[in-house]
Amino acid sequence: MGMFDFDFLDDVRRMNKRQLYYQALNFGMIVSSALMIWKGLMVVTGSESPIVVVLSGSMEPAFYRGDLLFLTNYREEPIRAGEIVVFKIEGREIPIVHRVLKVHEKENGTVKFLTKGDNNSVDDRGLYAPGQLWLEKKEVVGRARGFVPYVGIVTILMNDYPKFKYAILACLGAFVLIHRE
Amino acid sequence: MGKEDSTQWKTIEEKPVKIDKWDNAALKNALDDGAKKVMLDKFGFTESHRLMDGRLFICTIAVAFAMFALIWDYFNPFPESRPVLIICVLSYFVLMGVLTVYTTFMEKGIFLVALDKDRTGVDPDNRWELASILKKYDDLYTLDMTYTNGNTKKTRSGKITKSVAEFFDENGTFCVDKFEPEVRMLQNRIATSKKE
Repeated sequence: MGMFDFDFLDDVRRMNKRQLYYQALNFGMIVSSALMIWKGLMVVTGSESPIVVVLSGSMEPAFYRGDLLFLTNYREEPIRAGEIVVFKIEGREIPIVHRVLKVHEKENGTVKFLTKGDNNSVDDRGLYAPGQLWLEKKEVVGRARGFVPYVGIVTILMNDYPKFKYAILACLGAFVLIHRE
Repeated sequence: MGKEDSTQWKTIEEKPVKIDKWDNAALKNALDDGAKKVMLDKFGFTESHRLMDGRLFICTIAVAFAMFALIWDYFNPFPESRPVLIICVLSYFVLMGVLTVYTTFMEKGIFLVALDKDRTGVDPDNRWELASILKKYDDLYTLDMTYTNGNTKKTRSGKITKSVAEFFDENGTFCVDKFEPEVRMLQNRIATSKKE
């Protein structure tokens, strides 16, 4: 057989309409399952992003680059000094994982707090939006409840080399679409 | 290699089925397709798509729920979308359960339901159901054929179990001429025994 025979496509070429549709559905179900597990976790933990990867060394030695964090974000739990929170600043895409340093609570329930990375020499005011001095509850993505060391390094590598990521995704996708169960 | 040039075959139907002989799923698919071909092309039965359609229907609804959750969550960011997400996630996993039940209790490995149409169109059609088993790490392929008489609803079944090695050559090319007689014989056995 020649090099340009595309023999590997024979399976797909032999399929009828139903099989082709099922093949596409199968791919859709793999994606859907992952998506639904993620959304399910969101509902259970109350956090819009229940699992995050630590991207910087600013919390060493508590967390290192590549650690995987599990977050919960229950409304009724108060934020306390010493807790590790993940927050999202307006205008910044990537959430930050830092420790709560100071908390101000009002009778009516509003909270203002200041954070700092364990490994940083100054607090986070320089990281906040210009002119912002305190964080508020609406900026909190979640609070760290558990972690798995270094597992997230794969994510970091993929973010550092986006082409690598797309290549892997394309290969997996093609395999699922072409390969018949 | 000149002789095996693929341009030699006009359609994919004519091209011999060549598979990776160590791939169990590919082996089973090739044999199933072979049996299907014999039943539909050689005996002239009509395929009934009911079973497959049922599965496609369940899968489509499940994927639709997932896609709806994705879109809804995009336009109504998380805390607001929570009730919708709960409904979608629950529905999705329930449907996955339904799908499992459907494949184990309804499909039971049946890959072909062929109808032997009644020529006058008065009586209900006779049904042929084909199911197969090929265990992982095993070379024995079992083809199970069940015949249901449309009138009496009586069923007859028979099966053959053969090593897959008998139907494929060294390179993994499917030898239809070796497989077809087996299917014919099985069909014949069931078709004739029903008349006794």
